[in-house]
Amino acid sequence: MRAFFRTVPLWLPSLLVVLLAGCATPPPASDPDALAYYKETNDPLEPFNRKMYAVNNALDSAVLRPVAKAYVFAVPEALRTGIHNVLDNLHTPVQLSNDMLEGKPRRAGDTYMRFLINTTVGCLGFFDVAAKWGYPDHDADFGMTLAEWGVGPGPYLYLPVLGPNDPRDFAGFGVDIAADPFTWVGQGAAVTALGYSRWALTAVDARSRLLGTLSNIKKTALDPYATFRSLYRQHRKSQIEEMENDNRSTVPVWFPQPASAR
Amino acid sequence: MPSRRFLLTVSAAWLALGARGQAQSASAAATAFVQATGDKLVGVVNGPGSAQQKRQALTRIIDTVVDVDGVARFCLGRFWRQASSQQQQSYMNLFHQVLVTNITSKLGEYQGVRFAMGRAVPDGDNVAVDTTVYRPNNPPTDVKWLIANAGSDPKIVDVVAEGTSLRLTQRSDYASYLNHNNNNIDALISAMHHQVEQDLASG
Repeated sequence: MRAFFRTVPLWLPSLLVVLLAGCATPPPASDPDALAYYKETNDPLEPFNRKMYAVNNALDSAVLRPVAKAYVFAVPEALRTGIHNVLDNLHTPVQLSNDMLEGKPRRAGDTYMRFLINTTVGCLGFFDVAAKWGYPDHDADFGMTLAEWGVGPGPYLYLPVLGPNDPRDFAGFGVDIAADPFTWVGQGAAVTALGYSRWALTAVDARSRLLGTLSNIKKTALDPYATFRSLYRQHRKSQIEEMENDNRSTVPVWFPQPASAR
Repeated sequence: MPSRRFLLTVSAAWLALGARGQAQSASAAATAFVQATGDKLVGVVNGPGSAQQKRQALTRIIDTVVDVDGVARFCLGRFWRQASSQQQQSYMNLFHQVLVTNITSKLGEYQGVRFAMGRAVPDGDNVAVDTTVYRPNNPPTDVKWLIANAGSDPKIVDVVAEGTSLRLTQRSDYASYLNHNNNNIDALISAMHHQVEQDLASG
Protein backbone atom coordinates (compact mmCIF):
# COMPACT_ATOMS: atom_id res chain seq x y z
CA MET A 1 0.00 0.00 0.00
CA ARG A 2 2.80 2.34 0.94
CA ALA A 3 4.55 1.59 -2.32
CA PHE A 4 1.35 2.11 -4.29
CA PHE A 5 0.66 5.38 -2.55
CA ARG A 6 4.09 6.63 -3.46
CA THR A 7 3.61 5.97 -7.15
CA VAL A 8 0.54 8.23 -7.22
CA PRO A 9 2.46 11.37 -8.23
CA LEU A 10 3.90 9.46 -11.19
CA TRP A 11 0.67 8.60 -12.98
CA LEU A 12 -1.74 11.11 -11.51
CA PRO A 13 -0.79 14.05 -13.77
CA SER A 14 -1.57 12.21 -17.00
CA LEU A 15 -4.82 10.94 -15.52
CA LEU A 16 -5.81 14.43 -14.41
CA VAL A 17 -5.10 15.91 -17.80
CA VAL A 18 -7.17 13.24 -19.55
CA LEU A 19 -10.06 13.62 -17.12
CA LEU A 20 -10.19 17.37 -17.31
CA ALA A 21 -9.45 17.92 -20.96
CA GLY A 22 -13.14 18.56 -21.53
CA CYS A 23 -13.24 21.73 -19.44
CA ALA A 24 -12.08 24.12 -22.11
CA THR A 25 -14.05 26.19 -24.61
CA PRO A 26 -11.62 27.95 -26.94
CA PRO A 27 -12.90 31.17 -28.52
CA PRO A 28 -14.01 31.03 -32.18
CA ALA A 29 -11.52 31.70 -34.97
CA SER A 30 -13.53 34.80 -35.95
CA ASP A 31 -12.09 36.57 -32.89
CA PRO A 32 -8.31 36.49 -33.51
CA ASP A 33 -7.40 38.66 -30.51
CA ALA A 34 -9.30 36.44 -28.09
CA LEU A 35 -7.84 33.34 -29.71
CA ALA A 36 -4.31 34.74 -29.44
CA TYR A 37 -4.94 35.52 -25.78
CA TYR A 38 -6.30 31.99 -25.21
CA LYS A 39 -3.17 30.47 -26.75
CA GLU A 40 -0.84 32.81 -24.88
CA THR A 41 -2.29 32.04 -21.45
CA ASN A 42 -2.27 28.30 -22.29
CA ASP A 43 -4.73 27.57 -19.51
CA PRO A 44 -7.41 25.31 -21.02
CA LEU A 45 -8.32 24.00 -17.55
CA GLU A 46 -8.97 27.49 -16.22
CA PRO A 47 -12.48 26.74 -14.83
CA PHE A 48 -11.13 23.76 -12.86
CA ASN A 49 -7.97 25.65 -11.90
CA ARG A 50 -9.92 28.61 -10.55
CA LYS A 51 -11.99 26.28 -8.37
CA MET A 52 -8.82 24.74 -6.99
CA TYR A 53 -7.42 28.21 -6.44
CA ALA A 54 -10.48 29.04 -4.32
CA VAL A 55 -10.09 25.76 -2.40
CA ASN A 56 -6.43 26.50 -1.73
CA ASN A 57 -7.19 30.03 -0.64
CA ALA A 58 -9.69 28.72 1.89
CA LEU A 59 -7.20 26.11 3.11
CA ASP A 60 -4.50 28.73 3.31
CA SER A 61 -6.50 31.24 5.32
CA ALA A 62 -7.81 28.51 7.64
CA VAL A 63 -4.62 26.55 8.25
CA LEU A 64 -1.34 27.32 6.58
CA ARG A 65 -1.22 31.10 6.89
CA PRO A 66 -2.15 31.24 10.60
CA VAL A 67 0.39 28.51 11.34
CA ALA A 68 3.08 30.32 9.35
CA LYS A 69 2.26 33.57 11.15
CA ALA A 70 2.46 31.87 14.54
CA TYR A 71 5.76 30.32 13.49
CA VAL A 72 7.21 33.73 12.58
CA PHE A 73 5.83 35.21 15.80
CA ALA A 74 7.11 32.45 18.10
CA VAL A 75 10.45 31.52 16.54
CA PRO A 76 13.27 34.08 16.29
CA GLU A 77 14.61 34.84 12.82
CA ALA A 78 18.04 33.25 13.38
CA LEU A 79 16.44 29.97 14.42
CA ARG A 80 14.06 30.06 11.46
CA THR A 81 16.97 30.61 9.08
CA GLY A 82 18.77 27.67 10.70
CA ILE A 83 15.73 25.42 10.32
CA HIS A 84 15.41 26.50 6.70
CA ASN A 85 19.06 25.60 6.15
CA VAL A 86 18.63 22.17 7.78
CA LEU A 87 15.63 21.41 5.54
CA ASP A 88 17.63 22.57 2.51
CA ASN A 89 20.51 20.35 3.50
CA LEU A 90 18.21 17.31 3.82
CA HIS A 91 17.18 18.01 0.24
CA THR A 92 20.73 17.85 -1.19
CA PRO A 93 20.58 14.21 -2.42
CA VAL A 94 17.67 15.11 -4.72
CA GLN A 95 19.38 18.34 -5.78
CA LEU A 96 22.63 16.51 -6.55
CA SER A 97 20.97 13.84 -8.68
CA ASN A 98 19.15 16.52 -10.66
CA ASP A 99 22.35 18.55 -11.15
CA MET A 100 23.92 15.44 -12.64
CA LEU A 101 20.89 14.55 -14.77
CA GLU A 102 20.91 18.12 -16.09
CA GLY A 103 24.53 17.59 -17.15
CA LYS A 104 25.82 20.44 -14.97
CA PRO A 105 29.02 19.14 -13.34
CA ARG A 106 29.91 22.44 -11.68
CA ARG A 107 26.48 22.69 -10.10
CA ALA A 108 26.77 19.08 -8.93
CA GLY A 109 30.16 19.96 -7.45
CA ASP A 110 28.69 22.96 -5.65
CA THR A 111 25.89 20.81 -4.23
CA TYR A 112 28.31 18.08 -3.16
CA MET A 113 30.63 20.55 -1.41
CA ARG A 114 27.65 22.27 0.21
CA PHE A 115 26.51 18.95 1.67
CA LEU A 116 30.00 18.05 2.95
CA ILE A 117 30.71 21.47 4.48
CA ASN A 118 27.28 22.26 5.88
CA THR A 119 26.70 18.80 7.35
CA THR A 120 30.01 18.96 9.24
CA VAL A 121 31.21 22.52 9.85
CA GLY A 122 27.66 23.83 9.49
CA CYS A 123 26.32 21.61 12.31
CA LEU A 124 24.04 19.24 10.34
CA GLY A 125 23.14 22.02 7.95
CA PHE A 126 22.04 24.61 10.50
CA PHE A 127 24.59 27.16 9.27
CA ASP A 128 25.12 27.77 5.58
CA VAL A 129 28.91 27.98 5.81
CA ALA A 130 29.40 26.70 2.25
CA ALA A 131 27.77 29.79 0.71
CA LYS A 132 30.36 31.96 2.45
CA TRP A 133 33.13 29.66 1.22
CA GLY A 134 32.20 30.08 -2.43
CA TYR A 135 29.64 27.33 -2.94
CA PRO A 136 26.35 29.20 -3.37
CA ASP A 137 22.99 27.44 -3.45
CA HIS A 138 20.98 27.04 -6.64
CA ASP A 139 17.68 25.47 -7.67
CA ALA A 140 17.46 21.97 -9.11
CA ASP A 141 14.46 19.70 -9.38
CA PHE A 142 13.23 17.08 -11.81
CA GLY A 143 10.88 19.53 -13.52
CA MET A 144 13.95 21.59 -14.45
CA THR A 145 15.76 18.42 -15.50
CA LEU A 146 12.87 17.53 -17.82
CA ALA A 147 13.03 21.08 -19.23
CA GLU A 148 16.75 20.63 -19.93
CA TRP A 149 15.85 17.40 -21.74
CA GLY A 150 13.50 19.35 -23.98
CA VAL A 151 10.16 18.69 -22.30
CA GLY A 152 7.81 21.68 -22.52
CA PRO A 153 5.81 22.81 -19.47
CA GLY A 154 2.40 22.00 -20.95
CA PRO A 155 -0.81 23.76 -19.94
CA TYR A 156 -1.13 25.52 -16.61
CA LEU A 157 -2.35 23.44 -13.69
CA TYR A 158 -3.50 24.67 -10.31
CA LEU A 159 -3.53 21.83 -7.82
CA PRO A 160 -5.07 21.53 -4.38
CA VAL A 161 -2.44 22.00 -1.64
CA LEU A 162 0.46 22.20 -4.14
CA GLY A 163 -0.78 25.34 -5.91
CA PRO A 164 0.60 26.65 -9.24
CA ASN A 165 1.93 23.86 -11.39
CA ASP A 166 2.08 22.30 -14.83
CA PRO A 167 2.17 18.65 -15.92
CA ARG A 168 5.94 18.68 -16.36
CA ASP A 169 6.67 20.13 -12.92
CA PHE A 170 4.05 17.96 -11.24
CA ALA A 171 5.60 14.83 -12.75
CA GLY A 172 8.97 16.17 -11.62
CA PHE A 173 7.61 16.63 -8.11
CA GLY A 174 6.62 12.96 -8.01
CA VAL A 175 10.00 11.83 -9.32
CA ASP A 176 11.80 13.97 -6.73
CA ILE A 177 9.82 12.36 -3.90
CA ALA A 178 10.64 8.92 -5.30
CA ALA A 179 14.31 9.91 -5.70
CA ASP A 180 14.59 11.19 -2.13
CA PRO A 181 16.46 8.59 -0.02
CA PHE A 182 14.52 9.74 3.05
CA THR A 183 11.33 8.47 1.38
CA TRP A 184 12.69 4.93 1.58
CA VAL A 185 15.05 4.88 4.53
CA GLY A 186 14.04 3.10 7.73
CA GLN A 187 10.65 2.03 9.00
CA GLY A 188 8.48 2.22 12.06
CA ALA A 189 6.36 4.89 13.67
CA ALA A 190 9.27 7.15 14.63
CA VAL A 191 10.63 7.32 11.08
CA THR A 192 7.17 7.94 9.64
CA ALA A 193 6.56 10.69 12.18
CA LEU A 194 9.91 12.28 11.35
CA GLY A 195 9.10 12.12 7.65
CA TYR A 196 5.75 13.84 8.10
CA SER A 197 7.25 16.46 10.42
CA ARG A 198 9.83 17.24 7.79
CA TRP A 199 7.17 17.82 5.12
CA ALA A 200 4.99 19.84 7.48
CA LEU A 201 7.95 21.97 8.53
CA THR A 202 8.97 22.46 4.90
CA ALA A 203 5.47 23.73 4.10
CA VAL A 204 5.40 26.09 7.10
CA ASP A 205 8.91 27.34 6.35
CA ALA A 206 8.08 27.99 2.70
CA ARG A 207 4.82 29.72 3.59
CA SER A 208 6.40 31.86 6.30
CA ARG A 209 8.97 33.14 3.81
CA LEU A 210 6.14 34.28 1.53
CA LEU A 211 3.87 35.91 4.12
CA GLY A 212 4.44 39.48 2.97
CA THR A 213 4.75 38.67 -0.71
CA LEU A 214 1.52 36.69 -1.06
CA SER A 215 -0.68 39.11 0.87
CA ASN A 216 0.79 41.95 -1.19
CA ILE A 217 -0.03 40.23 -4.46
CA LYS A 218 -3.58 39.49 -3.34
CA LYS A 219 -3.96 43.12 -2.32
CA THR A 220 -2.55 44.74 -5.45
CA ALA A 221 -3.75 42.41 -8.22
CA LEU A 222 -7.11 42.87 -9.92
CA ASP A 223 -7.11 39.18 -10.82
CA PRO A 224 -4.82 37.40 -8.33
CA TYR A 225 -5.33 34.02 -10.03
CA ALA A 226 -3.93 35.34 -13.32
CA THR A 227 -1.15 37.19 -11.51
CA PHE A 228 -0.01 34.03 -9.73
CA ARG A 229 -0.16 32.15 -13.03
CA SER A 230 2.10 34.72 -14.68
CA LEU A 231 4.47 34.84 -11.69
CA TYR A 232 4.79 31.06 -11.50
CA ARG A 233 5.65 30.74 -15.17
CA GLN A 234 8.12 33.62 -15.17
CA HIS A 235 9.82 32.26 -12.07
CA ARG A 236 10.18 28.73 -13.49
CA LYS A 237 11.44 30.15 -16.78
CA SER A 238 14.10 32.19 -15.01
CA GLN A 239 15.19 29.20 -12.86
CA ILE A 240 15.55 27.07 -15.99
CA GLU A 241 17.38 29.79 -17.92
CA GLU A 242 19.78 30.32 -15.06
CA MET A 243 20.53 26.59 -15.01
CA GLU A 244 20.94 26.39 -18.77
CA ASN A 245 23.27 29.39 -18.84
CA ASP A 246 25.49 27.98 -16.09
CA ASN A 247 28.21 26.56 -18.31
CA ARG A 248 31.20 27.12 -16.06
CA SER A 249 34.30 25.26 -17.21
CA THR A 250 35.15 22.00 -15.45
CA VAL A 251 38.89 22.48 -16.00
CA PRO A 252 40.59 23.29 -12.69
CA VAL A 253 41.96 26.85 -12.42
CA TRP A 254 45.56 25.59 -12.01
CA PHE A 255 45.38 23.64 -15.28
CA PRO A 256 45.95 25.28 -18.71
CA GLN A 257 42.51 26.60 -19.70
CA PRO A 258 40.87 25.78 -23.04
CA ALA A 259 40.90 28.81 -25.33
CA SER A 260 37.12 29.30 -25.19
CA ALA A 261 37.10 29.61 -21.41
CA ARG A 262 39.66 32.39 -21.23
CA MET B 1 31.29 60.90 -0.81
CA PRO B 2 30.61 57.80 -2.88
CA SER B 3 30.94 54.56 -0.96
CA ARG B 4 33.73 52.11 -1.53
CA ARG B 5 31.26 49.49 -2.69
CA PHE B 6 29.88 51.88 -5.26
CA LEU B 7 33.32 52.61 -6.70
CA LEU B 8 34.13 48.90 -6.77
CA THR B 9 30.87 48.10 -8.54
CA VAL B 10 31.37 50.74 -11.15
CA SER B 11 34.92 49.61 -11.84
CA ALA B 12 33.83 45.97 -11.92
CA ALA B 13 31.12 46.82 -14.40
CA TRP B 14 33.72 48.63 -16.50
CA LEU B 15 36.18 45.76 -16.49
CA ALA B 16 33.56 43.10 -17.21
CA LEU B 17 32.46 44.76 -20.39
CA GLY B 18 35.81 44.71 -22.14
CA ALA B 19 36.78 47.32 -24.66
CA ARG B 20 33.44 48.45 -26.04
CA GLY B 21 33.42 52.07 -25.01
CA GLN B 22 29.80 52.84 -25.74
CA ALA B 23 28.41 49.82 -23.89
CA GLN B 24 30.85 50.50 -21.09
CA SER B 25 29.79 54.05 -20.45
CA ALA B 26 26.10 53.16 -20.78
CA SER B 27 26.49 50.36 -18.24
CA ALA B 28 28.45 52.55 -15.86
CA ALA B 29 25.88 55.30 -16.19
CA ALA B 30 23.04 52.83 -15.58
CA THR B 31 24.81 51.43 -12.54
CA ALA B 32 25.34 54.88 -11.10
CA PHE B 33 21.70 55.73 -11.80
CA VAL B 34 20.42 52.60 -10.05
CA GLN B 35 22.74 53.20 -7.11
CA ALA B 36 21.53 56.78 -6.73
CA THR B 37 17.86 55.82 -7.15
CA GLY B 38 18.19 52.94 -4.70
CA ASP B 39 19.83 55.23 -2.15
CA LYS B 40 16.96 57.71 -2.52
CA LEU B 41 14.27 55.03 -2.11
CA VAL B 42 15.99 53.38 0.83
CA GLY B 43 16.55 56.79 2.40
CA VAL B 44 12.81 57.49 2.36
CA VAL B 45 11.82 54.00 3.54
CA ASN B 46 14.29 53.97 6.42
CA GLY B 47 13.86 57.66 7.21
CA PRO B 48 11.45 59.44 9.56
CA GLY B 49 7.92 60.50 8.67
CA SER B 50 4.41 59.08 8.58
CA ALA B 51 3.24 56.54 6.01
CA GLN B 52 1.45 59.37 4.22
CA GLN B 53 4.59 61.54 4.02
CA LYS B 54 6.63 58.59 2.81
CA ARG B 55 4.10 57.85 0.12
CA GLN B 56 4.33 61.44 -1.11
CA ALA B 57 8.12 61.35 -1.14
CA LEU B 58 8.15 58.00 -2.98
CA THR B 59 5.62 59.33 -5.51
CA ARG B 60 7.96 62.22 -6.33
CA ILE B 61 10.92 59.86 -6.79
CA ILE B 62 8.97 57.33 -8.86
CA ASP B 63 7.63 60.03 -11.18
CA THR B 64 11.14 61.24 -11.94
CA VAL B 65 13.00 57.92 -12.25
CA VAL B 66 10.39 55.59 -13.81
CA ASP B 67 9.10 55.85 -17.36
CA VAL B 68 5.58 55.58 -15.97
CA ASP B 69 3.80 56.46 -19.22
CA GLY B 70 5.78 53.88 -21.17
CA VAL B 71 5.16 51.18 -18.56
CA ALA B 72 1.46 52.09 -18.46
CA ARG B 73 1.10 51.73 -22.23
CA PHE B 74 2.97 48.42 -22.12
CA CYS B 75 0.69 47.07 -19.40
CA LEU B 76 -2.49 47.81 -21.33
CA GLY B 77 -1.10 45.96 -24.38
CA ARG B 78 -3.40 45.82 -27.40
CA PHE B 79 -6.16 47.59 -25.47
CA TRP B 80 -4.18 50.85 -25.49
CA ARG B 81 -4.92 51.34 -29.18
CA GLN B 82 -8.56 50.40 -28.69
CA ALA B 83 -9.07 52.90 -25.86
CA SER B 84 -10.55 56.31 -26.53
CA SER B 85 -8.31 59.27 -25.70
CA GLN B 86 -10.44 59.97 -22.65
CA GLN B 87 -10.04 56.37 -21.48
CA GLN B 88 -6.30 56.60 -22.11
CA GLN B 89 -6.15 59.74 -20.01
CA SER B 90 -8.00 58.32 -17.00
CA TYR B 91 -6.12 55.01 -17.26
CA MET B 92 -2.81 56.88 -17.28
CA ASN B 93 -3.72 58.94 -14.21
CA LEU B 94 -4.84 55.87 -12.29
CA PHE B 95 -1.82 53.84 -13.34
CA HIS B 96 0.51 56.43 -11.78
CA GLN B 97 -1.23 55.95 -8.44
CA VAL B 98 -1.46 52.17 -8.75
CA LEU B 99 2.25 51.95 -9.47
CA VAL B 100 3.09 54.09 -6.45
CA THR B 101 0.84 51.92 -4.28
CA ASN B 102 2.43 48.72 -5.58
CA ILE B 103 5.93 49.98 -4.95
CA THR B 104 5.20 51.50 -1.56
CA SER B 105 3.40 48.39 -0.39
CA LYS B 106 6.46 46.36 -1.37
CA LEU B 107 9.01 48.73 0.13
CA GLY B 108 7.12 50.71 2.72
CA GLU B 109 6.94 48.19 5.53
CA TYR B 110 10.58 47.20 5.39
CA GLN B 111 12.26 49.54 7.82
CA GLY B 112 15.90 48.50 7.63
CA VAL B 113 15.92 47.63 3.93
CA ARG B 114 19.30 47.78 2.17
CA PHE B 115 20.72 46.67 -1.15
CA ALA B 116 23.98 45.70 -2.85
CA MET B 117 24.91 46.42 -6.45
CA GLY B 118 25.69 43.65 -8.93
CA ARG B 119 26.84 43.68 -12.53
CA ALA B 120 25.34 45.65 -15.40
CA VAL B 121 24.94 44.24 -18.91
CA PRO B 122 23.36 45.59 -22.10
CA ASP B 123 19.90 44.10 -22.75
CA GLY B 124 18.64 45.09 -26.17
CA ASP B 125 18.27 48.88 -26.17
CA ASN B 126 18.32 48.91 -22.38
CA VAL B 127 20.86 48.16 -19.68
CA ALA B 128 20.05 45.50 -17.09
CA VAL B 129 21.51 46.27 -13.66
CA ASP B 130 21.55 43.51 -11.03
CA THR B 131 21.06 44.24 -7.34
CA THR B 132 20.42 42.16 -4.25
CA VAL B 133 17.83 43.56 -1.86
CA TYR B 134 17.96 42.67 1.83
CA ARG B 135 14.80 43.12 3.90
CA PRO B 136 14.56 42.21 7.56
CA ASN B 137 12.80 38.86 8.14
CA ASN B 138 13.01 38.03 4.45
CA PRO B 139 15.44 36.02 2.35
CA PRO B 140 17.69 38.20 0.09
CA THR B 141 16.04 38.94 -3.25
CA ASP B 142 17.74 39.31 -6.64
CA VAL B 143 16.30 42.39 -8.30
CA LYS B 144 17.18 43.41 -11.84
CA TRP B 145 16.48 46.94 -13.07
CA LEU B 146 15.97 47.62 -16.77
CA ILE B 147 17.22 51.09 -17.63
CA ALA B 148 16.40 52.88 -20.89
CA ASN B 149 18.43 55.81 -22.28
CA ALA B 150 21.19 55.07 -19.78
CA GLY B 151 23.61 57.52 -21.40
CA SER B 152 21.38 60.58 -21.70
CA ASP B 153 18.14 60.54 -19.69
CA PRO B 154 18.02 57.27 -17.71
CA LYS B 155 14.58 55.91 -16.82
CA ILE B 156 13.49 52.65 -15.21
CA VAL B 157 11.32 50.66 -17.62
CA ASP B 158 11.05 47.41 -15.66
CA VAL B 159 11.94 45.82 -12.34
CA VAL B 160 12.54 42.06 -12.38
CA ALA B 161 12.45 40.41 -8.95
CA GLU B 162 13.62 36.78 -8.81
CA GLY B 163 12.99 36.45 -12.53
CA THR B 164 9.50 37.94 -12.40
CA SER B 165 8.97 41.15 -14.33
CA LEU B 166 6.77 43.83 -12.81
CA ARG B 167 5.41 45.06 -16.11
CA LEU B 168 4.79 41.59 -17.58
CA THR B 169 2.94 40.52 -14.45
CA GLN B 170 0.87 43.69 -14.40
CA ARG B 171 0.08 43.26 -18.07
CA SER B 172 -1.21 39.70 -17.61
CA ASP B 173 -3.25 40.85 -14.62
CA TYR B 174 -4.99 43.52 -16.70
CA ALA B 175 -5.35 41.23 -19.72
CA SER B 176 -7.06 38.58 -17.62
CA TYR B 177 -9.30 41.11 -15.90
CA LEU B 178 -10.38 42.53 -19.26
CA ASN B 179 -10.89 39.03 -20.64
CA HIS B 180 -13.32 38.24 -17.83
CA ASN B 181 -15.12 41.57 -18.24
CA ASN B 182 -15.98 41.46 -21.96
CA ASN B 183 -12.82 43.43 -22.83
CA ASN B 184 -14.52 46.51 -21.42
CA ILE B 185 -11.85 49.13 -20.73
CA ASP B 186 -14.22 51.18 -18.57
CA ALA B 187 -14.60 48.16 -16.28
CA LEU B 188 -10.82 48.05 -15.85
CA ILE B 189 -10.69 51.78 -15.17
CA SER B 190 -13.40 51.59 -12.51
CA ALA B 191 -11.67 48.57 -10.90
CA MET B 192 -8.41 50.55 -10.76
CA HIS B 193 -10.29 53.53 -9.38
CA HIS B 194 -11.81 51.36 -6.68
CA GLN B 195 -8.38 49.91 -5.86
CA VAL B 196 -6.76 53.33 -5.50
CA GLU B 197 -9.58 54.60 -3.28
CA GLN B 198 -9.30 51.56 -1.04
CA ASP B 199 -5.55 51.96 -0.71
CA LEU B 200 -5.85 55.63 0.19
CA ALA B 201 -8.57 54.84 2.72
CA SER B 202 -6.48 52.16 4.40
CA GLY B 203 -3.56 54.59 4.57
